[in-house]
Amino acid sequence: MLNYILKRIILLAPILLLVSLITFSILYIIPGDPAETILTGPGGAADPKAVEEFRVKMGLDRPLHIQYLKWLNNVLHGNFGYSYMTEQPVLDPILPAFRATLKLAVASMILSLLISIPVGIISAIKQYSLIDNLSMTGALLGVSMPNFWQGLLLILLFAVYLGWFPVAGYGENGDFEHLVLPAITLGTSSAAITTRLMRSSMLETIRQDYIQAARAKGLSERVVIGKHALKNALIPVVTVAGLNFGYLLDGSVVVETIFAWPGIGKLMVGSIYMRDYPMIQGCILFVALVYVAVNLVVDILYTFLDPRIRYETKAKAK
Amino acid sequence: MKQTREKMKMRKGAASGMIAVLVGAMLLATATIPTASAKLYGDANGDGKINMIDTTYVKLIIVKEKPDNELADANQDGETDVGDVIWIKLIILEKAPFPGGTITAAMIFFKDSVDPAYKWTGWYVRKAGIYETLFKNDENMELTPELATGYRRVSSTKWRIYLREGVKFHDGTPFNADAVVYSINRVRDPSNSRHNEYDFIDAIYKSGDYTVTIITKEPYAPTIASLSDPVVSIVSPEADEEDLDTVAVGTGPFKLVEFEPGMSLSVERNDEYWGGQVKLESATFEYVSDPQTRAYMLEAGDVDIARGIPQAEAEIIDDNPNLNVINKETLRTYFMYVNTEKEPLDNVKVRQAINYAIDRDQIVETALEGVGGVAAKSVFPSIMPWSANDDLEGYPHNQAKALSLLAEAGITDTNGDGWLDYKGSTFELSIKTYTKRPELKPTAEVIEAQLEDIGVQASVEIRDTSALKAEVAAGDYDLALYAWGVAPTGDPDYFLSYHFHSTGKYAGWTKYSNPEVDRLIEEGRTTFDYDDRWEIYRKAQEQILEDSPEIFVFYLNELVGLTNEVQGYEIYPNEITFLTGEIYNTA
Repeated sequence: MLNYILKRIILLAPILLLVSLITFSILYIIPGDPAETILTGPGGAADPKAVEEFRVKMGLDRPLHIQYLKWLNNVLHGNFGYSYMTEQPVLDPILPAFRATLKLAVASMILSLLISIPVGIISAIKQYSLIDNLSMTGALLGVSMPNFWQGLLLILLFAVYLGWFPVAGYGENGDFEHLVLPAITLGTSSAAITTRLMRSSMLETIRQDYIQAARAKGLSERVVIGKHALKNALIPVVTVAGLNFGYLLDGSVVVETIFAWPGIGKLMVGSIYMRDYPMIQGCILFVALVYVAVNLVVDILYTFLDPRIRYETKAKAK
Repeated sequence: MKQTREKMKMRKGAASGMIAVLVGAMLLATATIPTASAKLYGDANGDGKINMIDTTYVKLIIVKEKPDNELADANQDGETDVGDVIWIKLIILEKAPFPGGTITAAMIFFKDSVDPAYKWTGWYVRKAGIYETLFKNDENMELTPELATGYRRVSSTKWRIYLREGVKFHDGTPFNADAVVYSINRVRDPSNSRHNEYDFIDAIYKSGDYTVTIITKEPYAPTIASLSDPVVSIVSPEADEEDLDTVAVGTGPFKLVEFEPGMSLSVERNDEYWGGQVKLESATFEYVSDPQTRAYMLEAGDVDIARGIPQAEAEIIDDNPNLNVINKETLRTYFMYVNTEKEPLDNVKVRQAINYAIDRDQIVETALEGVGGVAAKSVFPSIMPWSANDDLEGYPHNQAKALSLLAEAGITDTNGDGWLDYKGSTFELSIKTYTKRPELKPTAEVIEAQLEDIGVQASVEIRDTSALKAEVAAGDYDLALYAWGVAPTGDPDYFLSYHFHSTGKYAGWTKYSNPEVDRLIEEGRTTFDYDDRWEIYRKAQEQILEDSPEIFVFYLNELVGLTNEVQGYEIYPNEITFLTGEIYNTA
């Protein structure tokens, strides 16, 4: 097991290297000059002399591979570079932005699981009942409704008309009342997918012979579903929920923009617009790291849920 | 039987779990919603103002001619009596603090610093009322002294600026010539990314405690106007320069309290403001990039003022009895660059034809919902004193004229397919634009339709700002719709030099060059008499309009939504000044 984890961690290095190389190349392929963009004022002007000075100062006048190697060398020494925009270390804004995103992601994930697992189970054991049809319609709606629209509707109802929650903002360090609406927006759309998956996976499981056997033994339905069926039915749900969580951790640009939530998605898109190369690199590297780490955790989680995988890795380790 | 009960329980469990989460959320939310605090105590007659009429009103209350009310108790001692009459007089005499309350505003842009000398941060800290400049543009775009009291031009390159006495920075340091020299030199330092804009200065020195002399390298008429740019805000020389990113020490009506980069900024009243009583006690700015969200924040009562609300939402807000929308022309012109090197756009008649084909009123009515802007004539919005719009004819919507001009340039429908052709193939025009400003895309689409109306096959292409800039700079475009603040300091030289002088950077985008215009721009820059200068710029505006290297579409209106209780707010057309000592909140 430990070997397996170690191997996965070692694999991180080439993945991150490749990610950084690809990002770096794409940044230089897309049109747009960071010096020009960053030095453009609210009026619209960018002083040509200032642009030239900026290029030299930031090393943008050097050949591409030199720029990359220089950046890589700095990163290996723990220096992720300085933002073109603020001229401050890029990690300074990334860490608080990631904290904000993490808060939102965890809240949406909890909400999503709280909705999807019970609703999915009930829909499965009550297949084609009214409750099943209702929840599946709800899930369809949740999948099809764009986040920005759902977010605006939630704001209209709960903030503008009812006044229960603030419209947007981060409040005192992302407090509960500011968290509710964006978490519902993100949570319900990921719940929609998970509910459907939970339902189909549960349906498949309860038709298996061992469930019949468990029922025949005279076990209560609660034990049959809750203990015997759920554990097996959860495996695909964990995969998708894990991926979903990794995705939520990348920050949702749309939701973060509508709710003025200072997360990493907003930071990343903002720096892409400004062609703030070091900041984009920093964000992407960070997000990639988180994504890979979440995947690793999901894989490890598997081995607890599914003994088959545990035995496979053991066998391979031998 | 047992089974179904189990199932029921489970279902109930799930349902009540969800309900518990929601109810819990609601309870927590209602418990912590902050409420607005202050009321306008002293406004006895409830007209939203505190003046001598209120003292009379309180006297009438005392003699029981009028019913007592809460606001009449100006000194807050629980009774309405002679003490309140005195207190109201003290407020009017600025001896007692004005009960102006607090304001929360939803703003558009944010910066990660509060140092005015850093890039364009000065705009944001000035909006918050923290920093001031030697001169400023008032709400009618008249250049007026702020921290200066006046100036005298000693020779064509030597300016003497007289400073206001008795002004103190927020840290108690006196404002004087040293502070001015220090602040301007911070921007002139080669490490400052905007130092080039102040390269016209040869030297700046103190010639008295309250007098500063500026020597320019060449005669430069915009000298005084350039001192109104917030980048040369006057900062306390005693403040540690390393800290100015996060600490603000200015002279403005408000002092910085807290600053959360990218999220919010709060200020409190400067009790020792040189400009007299500051009515508002404190203010908080929330930076929200989504316009719809800003409008909702206002509608939900989360903020008292929302800047830049969407045009489509303006009517809804205005219909709300508690809210208002105010609307004023800004110095932001929306225009199209024309690639004057590309055939057949190199022919001035084609450019003029496009001008005639555009129905600017229709753009304002449709793309801007009738409130978002004013049809443009020439480069400068009419609100700007340098605008010659009253003397210019412009291009009224005239399809027949457009078609005849195109025909003169050899663009006609030769193959009878309904589209105009040029040299044997269909005449196509693409309009490239970006989406950062919400007006751009709908405007481009309306222009597209108007061009198709006269038979020009037009298309709209959207790019992100950086990509578009690269394409346009490389000459890879026909028409490019852009938005510019044409005179941040109020002086016409800035925009004209950049866009229409043949050496100007953006003349490089259109490839425009007219020696006569070059001469006029150079002459205007070295002419000091206002009337002479105005006449030179009038000629330049006329010539540029005729040559049409850029097609002017509309001037943006700033739309600000506010509650009925916000008093004394004024829109500044240059989008630089926002919070002033005159604003207060009676809620």
